[in-house]
Amino acid sequence: MSGKKALLSSVLVLLVVLSFGALASAEPVKIRFVSLAWQEQSIAANYEIVDEWNRLNPDIQVEYIPGSWDSIHDYMVTSFETGDVPDIFHYEAALIGDFARRGYLADLRPYIDDELWEDTFEGAWATVAGDNGEIWGMPFIWESLIILYNKDILEEAGIELPTTENPWTWDDIRSVAKELTVDFDGDGEIDQWGAAIPLRAPVNRILNLTLGFGGGYFVEEDGRYTVRVGEAEKGLLSVIMDMIYEDKSAYPGAVGLSGTAVLPAFYEGDYALLPGIGVWARQQIMQNAPEDFRWGVLPPVKGQTQLQGANPQTLSIPKASKHQAEAMEFIKFFVAKENVTKLALGDWMYPTRKSALAMPEFQTEEAGWKVSSETVQFLTVGPWHGVPGFPEWKDRVATPVMQELFANQITIEEAAQRMESEGNRILQRYR
Amino acid sequence: MKRKVKLWTAKTAMYAALLAYVVFLAFPLVWLLSTALKPNSEIYSRWPTLIPKHPTWSHFATAFGEQNLLLGIANSLKIGVLSSVIVLLLAVPCAYALVRYRTFVNKAVMGWVLVSQLFPSILIIIPLFLVLRNLALTNTHTGITLVYTVWSLPFVLWMMRGYINGIPIELEEAAFVDGAGRWQVLSKVVFPLLLPGIVASGLFAFVSAWNEFFFALVLLKTPSLTTLPVYLSRFTGSEGMTRLGPLAASCLVATLPTLVVFAFLQKGLISGLMSGAVKQ
Amino acid sequence: MKQRSVLGQLGLVLPFLVPVFLLSVIPLVSGIYLGFTDYQFGWDPKFNGLDNYIYMLGDSYFWSSFRIGFIWTFGVTAGQILFGLGLALLLNAKLRFQWLARVLILVPWAMPPIIRGLMWNMVLLPDTSGPLNYLLTQLGIISQPINWLNNFSWALPTIILVGIWGGLPQSSVVLLAGLQSIPKELYEAAGLDGAGVWAQFRHVTLPGLRQVIVAIVSLRFMWNFNAFGLVYALTQGGPGGRTRLPMLFAYEEGFRYGNAGYAAALGNVMVLVVSALLIIYLRRQFAEEGGM
Repeated sequence: MSGKKALLSSVLVLLVVLSFGALASAEPVKIRFVSLAWQEQSIAANYEIVDEWNRLNPDIQVEYIPGSWDSIHDYMVTSFETGDVPDIFHYEAALIGDFARRGYLADLRPYIDDELWEDTFEGAWATVAGDNGEIWGMPFIWESLIILYNKDILEEAGIELPTTENPWTWDDIRSVAKELTVDFDGDGEIDQWGAAIPLRAPVNRILNLTLGFGGGYFVEEDGRYTVRVGEAEKGLLSVIMDMIYEDKSAYPGAVGLSGTAVLPAFYEGDYALLPGIGVWARQQIMQNAPEDFRWGVLPPVKGQTQLQGANPQTLSIPKASKHQAEAMEFIKFFVAKENVTKLALGDWMYPTRKSALAMPEFQTEEAGWKVSSETVQFLTVGPWHGVPGFPEWKDRVATPVMQELFANQITIEEAAQRMESEGNRILQRYR
Repeated sequence: MKRKVKLWTAKTAMYAALLAYVVFLAFPLVWLLSTALKPNSEIYSRWPTLIPKHPTWSHFATAFGEQNLLLGIANSLKIGVLSSVIVLLLAVPCAYALVRYRTFVNKAVMGWVLVSQLFPSILIIIPLFLVLRNLALTNTHTGITLVYTVWSLPFVLWMMRGYINGIPIELEEAAFVDGAGRWQVLSKVVFPLLLPGIVASGLFAFVSAWNEFFFALVLLKTPSLTTLPVYLSRFTGSEGMTRLGPLAASCLVATLPTLVVFAFLQKGLISGLMSGAVKQ
Repeated sequence: MKQRSVLGQLGLVLPFLVPVFLLSVIPLVSGIYLGFTDYQFGWDPKFNGLDNYIYMLGDSYFWSSFRIGFIWTFGVTAGQILFGLGLALLLNAKLRFQWLARVLILVPWAMPPIIRGLMWNMVLLPDTSGPLNYLLTQLGIISQPINWLNNFSWALPTIILVGIWGGLPQSSVVLLAGLQSIPKELYEAAGLDGAGVWAQFRHVTLPGLRQVIVAIVSLRFMWNFNAFGLVYALTQGGPGGRTRLPMLFAYEEGFRYGNAGYAAALGNVMVLVVSALLIIYLRRQFAEEGGM
């Protein structure tokens, strides 16, 4: 082949490639978005937002892929390992840290402008931040643990209610619960319990509330993590144990119940208080409770502080995505004030954006929104976030140990000792 | 007289036992029906009712409106039928070859049957996915159909082997003597005798494809390609919460087609299994 | 006329081999290989010989999951065969409404496992809102509702019962087919010899079913040992790991904690253990029949 011919043919090739390139760029970019919305309203909100984006941005088309909370982890792990990834996926802060550690996620920090940065609660950013300031996901809605109470019971007993300025301490809760535990017909069986604390899957709730006692279960020294169950951690455990087994003011059957499972009996007046229950429970009440059921929301209990661990829902972009910038454009649109308001209302949670939380929808007295929204100031990141091996510790050690503890089969000392020793053995695996 | 009483007691006891079995096996379906027809306030009530006090169709409306349930059913039907047909096309000649010839291939195939039934299928999803990607078959119905075909093959093969073993070889030899070729023998002599067994095995392959969740979840990404079990999983939320009403409604819709098919085929199913399972 | 030509056989087997090789043998072989690597999701696998198996020896979670796995497998398999036999006998007796019963007993089979799990969750709800607890408390059989799936002592028996439920239709249908193929003349002959119902069952029915029983026992044993979906939907291995079957354990290791190499090693051990047991069982059965 002569030089001229070679030149000619390479020009031809170049032309062909260029024209294909041009053709390709005329095609709209396709963004695959896996959403976990599952409540009726929130699914509707998602579709609305996606449709509007697609109408406004003909050259970046978003495909909405409904996923499910049960299977998203398996779905994403296989996607990452095979390289066939969606461009955006919906998940939670506590678990994307592990994905980031394996190098699966793109750092979103460079795409985040000052306005978005300033307008999002610091506590929410902290839950998705990497060691070097990376942001592994956009937190968009989150929740807190509140106290739900039966209005009829508390009014009848003439109990003075706590306020945001003057919240109950755990001691207050104990004495109120004792007072409200009644055996009406004197048959030796209690007919009305002061409280019910659902503890079927206890770890998340206990960990999040432990922050208020100044504990956190994990300590870091020179980049190495160890499990520590000290006085602060034991503090919360012993309050709960005392309420169930010493005061007998908390319904012992709730130990094996999930948050949803305690609600039907709550409507019937079997329990006066549900301390430490997720803010989402209000939706279940609105939907399923009898119409004459009167209830309200009280501010979170105070240990040393009212701090709570937060675990926002997030949107992340896989490193393997070919359209990271476009995906981020969509995320910004998704979390714009009006949109994130719709999404938060759909799931009965709070938006992580300050401007959205200030909207009247979240500040009304109705359905306990105002008291609930005020708890956002206490939300922060727990030290267990991003600890390698945390999921295994949670499933294999903390969950069974806490379940045995709350079933009164072992003592707090034994529980603490097992969580530490078995836990530290597991953490060894991940170094 | 005494004998009659005894017989009568025995009959009653048998009816009672059969009733107990039917209640045990079918009660959950009844409960599903009851849940699907109850309004939320009744589903989440402290005191359950079997017959809804205020029956409602709203969950069915939600189920059909929100998720494209009919599309899911259509996809599942298509994949299930295709994969059971293909599995039979592959398994019948192969099983025949395994029975009529005895070579080292038999041991290899049986070894594979064993390993494929025993190795946790979840653990091979990633290598499997990579093979499919190299063939450009991920996110296609062709790909998932092939996967289901191959994964129900071992069992179908095992069953077919039994059925073929039950066909006296003399029948074939007679046909050969009459001058029939191998394919003629297969299609004219062996196939008709195998028909009940083929129905039973095909049904098995269909049901396992219809029920499968994990491969479908991972391999089919485009929503319009998704199968029924994956659609159903979307009524579950975080922390194990579920929207029981619409879920029960769609589960009912998802269960009825197979149940109807079973009802029609149960005679054939039993006679099919009869001809095969017995003679290994 | 047993022909011994490999070529003739291959001709018939070939179309079968290609997809099997691509979609089953290759993934299986790489799965088996990964069991000898330190594969963690996110990092490339490196061969590490027997390290996984050495770790396994000291892994108390592994031992307890295999122990639970055996209780589960024996319990469920035995239950499926015994109850299945009972049901098959009833369906084979001349009773009315049999056609209806024969359809209704297939309900569990017709349900995708994901639905089975959700539905049993509803039936077994821990307080009186679950129909089972409601019924039992109303009848006075239990005084307090039982938390079937989350009680340390009840969880395993409960899932075994649900496991039996799930496999009963297939077992009893196969056993029924077996029963129907036992020649009537055998019963008549036994009847003439003066054998009672029980003697007929022992000397005619059981021997007639022998091969069928051996076949389902082996199949059921494999499947039950590998069970996953139903238990995952019901308990996720809880409470406190009391229902963590080997397959669930391997799944957790691989997909939850990203230790894919170790998970594959667990798979290898499962294959070895179960096939060893099966071979022993089948050998004994064939030996009793008089030579393999």
